[in-house]
Amino acid sequence: MISNLRRSVPSRLGLVITFGLAALAMIYLSYSLPRLLPGDFVTTMYSSSNVTLTAEQEAALRAYYTEEPGFGHYLVKLFRLDWGFSYAFLTPISTLFFSALPWTLLLLGTANVISMIIGFVSGVEAAWRPNSRLEKGMVGGMTIIEGIPEISTGVILLVVFALKLQWFPAAGGETAYAELSLYAWFADVGHHLALPLATLVLAYFPGNFLLTRNSMMMVIKAPFVTTARAKGLCARRVRYGHAARNALLPLVTRFGLRLAFMVTGALVVETIFSYPGLGTVLFNAIQVRDVPVIQAIVLVSSLMVLMIILGLEVVYRMIDPRIANAH
Amino acid sequence: MHIDIRQTLFRNPWFVIGFTLALLFTAMTLLGPPLAPFDPWDISFTPISPPSARHFLGTNDGGQDIFSELLFAVRNTFAFGLLSGLVALGLGVMIGLAAGWFRGFVDMILMRIADVLLAIPAIMILILTAALFRPSPWLLALILSGLMWPSISKAIRAQTLTLRESLHVRAAAQIGGGNWYIIRRHLMPEMFPLYLVGFAAKARIAMFMEAALAFLGLFDPSRKSLGMMIGYALKYYYMDIWWNWLLPPIVCLSLLIMTVTFLAISLERVLDSRLKDALGA
Repeated sequence: MISNLRRSVPSRLGLVITFGLAALAMIYLSYSLPRLLPGDFVTTMYSSSNVTLTAEQEAALRAYYTEEPGFGHYLVKLFRLDWGFSYAFLTPISTLFFSALPWTLLLLGTANVISMIIGFVSGVEAAWRPNSRLEKGMVGGMTIIEGIPEISTGVILLVVFALKLQWFPAAGGETAYAELSLYAWFADVGHHLALPLATLVLAYFPGNFLLTRNSMMMVIKAPFVTTARAKGLCARRVRYGHAARNALLPLVTRFGLRLAFMVTGALVVETIFSYPGLGTVLFNAIQVRDVPVIQAIVLVSSLMVLMIILGLEVVYRMIDPRIANAH
Repeated sequence: MHIDIRQTLFRNPWFVIGFTLALLFTAMTLLGPPLAPFDPWDISFTPISPPSARHFLGTNDGGQDIFSELLFAVRNTFAFGLLSGLVALGLGVMIGLAAGWFRGFVDMILMRIADVLLAIPAIMILILTAALFRPSPWLLALILSGLMWPSISKAIRAQTLTLRESLHVRAAAQIGGGNWYIIRRHLMPEMFPLYLVGFAAKARIAMFMEAALAFLGLFDPSRKSLGMMIGYALKYYYMDIWWNWLLPPIVCLSLLIMTVTFLAISLERVLDSRLKDALGA
C-alpha cells in the first residue's frame, strides 16, 4: 500500500534541467511568436489597437521593432527588467507589473494557505470517520462545490454580497484617496479582499479536501498506524503526528501540478472584482490590445509559476523523510 | 468472477446525474440551431428589454435574443471542450503507450517533454497566441490539447509498464506478435477505463479555459460563448438584468462543468478500484 504512495523521484539535477528547459521554452515562445506575425509588427498590432500614433511615433516604433536584437539580447533585457513600454498605460511595463504584483500575491497566497489548512484538516477528519453520515455528506458537498467554476461563484458572490446586500465593496483593493491610519488601512484592505478571497477558497479547498481524504484513507490502513494505536497514543497524536503527515505529501506534490491550472481562475476572479492585481492589468491590456504588456505579463508570470513549482519540489524533499534520508 | 461495469456505474448517483446532464447538453448542442427562436446575431429587437412571451430571457444590450444566444453559446463551449479533450486523450494515449512500450531513449525524450509541458501554465500560452494571431477557436482547442496531454500519458505509461510484464502480453510477444499488434490488441483495450477518466478531466479543464478566454475577450466577439455572455452582462450589472441575462449563462456553465466533474469523479471511483483489482497494481 505504501509503495503506491512512493513515486519515482527525479534527481535534483534532472529537476533543474526540466525547469530550465520549461523556462527557456516560454522565453523563446514569447521572443519568436511576434516575429512570426505576417507583415510588419507595428502595422499589424498597432492598427488594430485603440491607439492612434503620430507619424513620428510610428517611425520610432518601426525603428525599435525592426532592429533585430537576437535572442541573447532579449534574455539580457528580460533579466534587467527592461520589458518595454506600455503604449496604452504610458508607463514602463516593469512599473506596471511590480505595482500589481503585491496584490496578486496577497490574494493568491492567502487563498492557498486558507484552503490548504481547511481542506487538509477537514480531509483528515473525514477520513478518520469512514462511512459516517458526516463523511458522506462532506464528500458529496465537496464534489458539488468542485463542479462550480470560479467565474460562477465570483459573479454570484459579487451580485449578492456587494450589489444587493452591499456588505462588501464591489471593486478595488483599498478605498481610493482615503487617508487611513495603519490599522484602519489593514481593515480596509481585508474588507476589499474578502469576496475575491472567498471565491478562490471555495474553488481551491474542495480539491484539497478530496485529495487529503483519499490519501488519508490509504494511509489509515497502513501497519504503522495500527502500531501507533497499539502503543496507546491518543487519537489526535495518531491522526496528525503519524497518519496525516504522510497524507500531506500528495497535497504538496499535486499543488505544483494544479498551480499551472489555478492561474486561470485567479485571472478571472481578479477581473470580476476589479482587484488591482496582475489579472486585471492583463485584462485591461487585452481590452486595448496592448501587446507588449500582454507579452511581458504572460512571460514573467509563467516564469514565476515555474519558480514556485521548483521551490515546492525542494519542500517536498524536505518533508518526505523517505527522500530526505535517501540522499 | 464477472462484474457488470454498466450496472455498477448506473448505481452511482454521481454518474447518473452527470450522465443525464451530459445527454441534455448533447441534445442542446445538436438541436440548438433549430430550437433557437431567433437568429442570435439579429440586432433588430429593442435592447435590454425584460423577458416576455416572445423573448423568454429578454434581449441584451445589442438587441439580440438572449435565449437564442444561450443555445449557441452552450454549443460552442461544449464542442470546444469535447474536441480539446478528445485530441488530448488521443495524443496522451499514443505518447504514453510509445513511452511505456519502447522505453529507453524514446521514453526519456517523451517524458522530459511531458515534464516541461506540465510546468508551463497553459492559459498563458493560449492568451499569447490568441492576442497575437487571433486563431480560430478550433485551432486554440488543438493548441490546448497539445499542452494537456502530459498528465494522461504519464498515467498510461505507468499502466503500460505494469501491463508489459503481465503473462498474456509476454505470451503474445512469445508467439511473435509485433509491437503494433500487441499495442493495438492487448494494451489499448485493456486501459479503456483510464481513457474515460482522462477524457472527462481534460474536457473539464478545456471548458473552463474556453469560458475564461471568452470572458477575458480573447475570442472573435461575434462568436457566442458562455464566458463572453457573462462578461458582457457583468458590464450592465447595475441594471436589473442579473437574473435574466447574467444568471442563465452562469447556471449553464456551472452545470456543464459539474457534468464532466461528476462523470470524472464517479468513473474514477468505480473504474479505478476495478482497475486496481484487475491489474493487481
